[in-house]
Amino acid sequence: MIRFRALLEKELLDVARNRAVLLPVAIATLVFLVLPFVIAILIPATTGDSLGDDAGLARVSLLMGPHENLSTNGRVQLFIFQQFLIVFLLMPVTGAMALAAHAIVGEKQARTLEPLLATPLTTLELLMAKVAGALIPTFAISTVGLIAYALIIAGSAETGVLPAMLNPRTLVLVLGVGPMCALVSLQMAVVISSRVNDPRTAQQFGVLIVVPVTALVIGQVSGALWLSGRALALVALGLFGAWILLTLFSVALFEREAILTRWK
Amino acid sequence: MIAARGLSRSFGPRIAVDDVSVEVAPGEIVALLGPNGAGKTTTMRMLAGLIAPSSGSVTIDGVRLTRATGSTLRSRIGFLTEAPGLWDRLTVRENLRIYAGLYSLAHPDAVIRSTLETFGLEPYAATRAAELSKGLRQKAALARALLHTPDILLLDEPTSGLDPEIARTVRGMLADRRRAGCAILVSTHNLDEAERLADRVAVLHTRLLALDRPAALRQRLTTGRVLARVAGDAGAYLGTARGFDRGATIEYGAIVLTLSHADRETPTFVRALVAAGADVLEIRPEVPALEEVYLHLMADEARVATVPS
Repeated sequence: MIRFRALLEKELLDVARNRAVLLPVAIATLVFLVLPFVIAILIPATTGDSLGDDAGLARVSLLMGPHENLSTNGRVQLFIFQQFLIVFLLMPVTGAMALAAHAIVGEKQARTLEPLLATPLTTLELLMAKVAGALIPTFAISTVGLIAYALIIAGSAETGVLPAMLNPRTLVLVLGVGPMCALVSLQMAVVISSRVNDPRTAQQFGVLIVVPVTALVIGQVSGALWLSGRALALVALGLFGAWILLTLFSVALFEREAILTRWK
Repeated sequence: MIAARGLSRSFGPRIAVDDVSVEVAPGEIVALLGPNGAGKTTTMRMLAGLIAPSSGSVTIDGVRLTRATGSTLRSRIGFLTEAPGLWDRLTVRENLRIYAGLYSLAHPDAVIRSTLETFGLEPYAATRAAELSKGLRQKAALARALLHTPDILLLDEPTSGLDPEIARTVRGMLADRRRAGCAILVSTHNLDEAERLADRVAVLHTRLLALDRPAALRQRLTTGRVLARVAGDAGAYLGTARGFDRGATIEYGAIVLTLSHADRETPTFVRALVAAGADVLEIRPEVPALEEVYLHLMADEARVATVPS
């Protein structure tokens, strides 16, 4: 644990000294913080058209349940904010991907990997610290964004929208699906980083990992994919299991020798 | 003590290290000499537990280095890699602090403070590694390798590219560690350094060509030539010299002769000169430099390699 903590400290210090690497995550968070408000609040306020007047939106928003205490307009707002919540939670993963993809191959390129591997640090500790090092900064940003998201909803949406959002499903999304999806994606990126010999290749593979995440996001936003709280909990559990398996797999795949002797 | 027995390593069809056996005892420095591509780094990596040998074994105080024992045994080894491998964005102190954690040191702050002081790195403690000169980076890397007071040190070219002053400081530090009982294996291209620093020298060219004390290695090429400088006319004593070697000559005012058993015959020769009335100023057996021994071994190896089997 001490060794894991030590390497994690290095990862966090490294990111703190190179804050520009977090800029894409911050920009993505900001965009997905602003976008739902533009759609749900700003455009209707500017055009004078109520969201509740859109029959298609009103119908699809019923997926959320009747929510009789809300007007049709409020229910559509709730639907939009709820849909964007998952986008908001998953987008930082794309930014963290760059950090995770660079994790091992970056150390190798900087010639810092060999002294590191000569310490008692185990492969599991190394890989876990690398994943956590990519995850923590991006999650810190998205947590700040999440608080801002809730505050802006409270201040600008119809009364009752925020309390309606604070339900077990949201909780599962925020505390389960989001972090688990990030863990799986980043673990996969670290595996790739330990198998390729060039950061650009790792980055390209990282883009591929983001594809299923993006598909999930598009499905959510379009309303084509609606998962209940229970279904989301199962997804989170499945992702957790996948992460454990992937972690064990990544330890087995990590070849110290090949990394040291074959990579140039 | 760290010991390698019959250590071999191949990469595909290429044999990098072939049947190398070497031991480094506590309080001993062994220099590993060899040309580029001789297998020095591969040997170091096998000894550090970074790569597994194709055959043979590495033991530390009798415990075999394996995947299972690797993590524990690595905590006893300080390994200086060819490149300093410092994290550029971190300061010297931060680099050391992270490694103190990786070695699970109980009192990291005190250890770091004393290490910085020992290596004269205190003024640079808050400097980022990227801003250090090459010499300071190497010193910081060495400080990192010694941070956990390992009893085994594996150093891959520790003074490579350093100016003579810093190289001397590094050699002084290694001598200190030897006195403290550390077993030290140093890979180097610098024959002069090997001669001055090492208790024993291992010459490697895929296989181990020689392993002995520098003086013993030099002795291998000793020709038996002895130079005698006397007061006055050296020619007056040439006859005495020719009693030992018919080919004795005068070169630059000194008598030069070859003795078949220089160790035994030199005192007899000196006594004969004195008996003949010579005032002996200097007697100097001609001893080859380690460089000559090294080149001789390499030339032999090249001859062996070109002889068709």
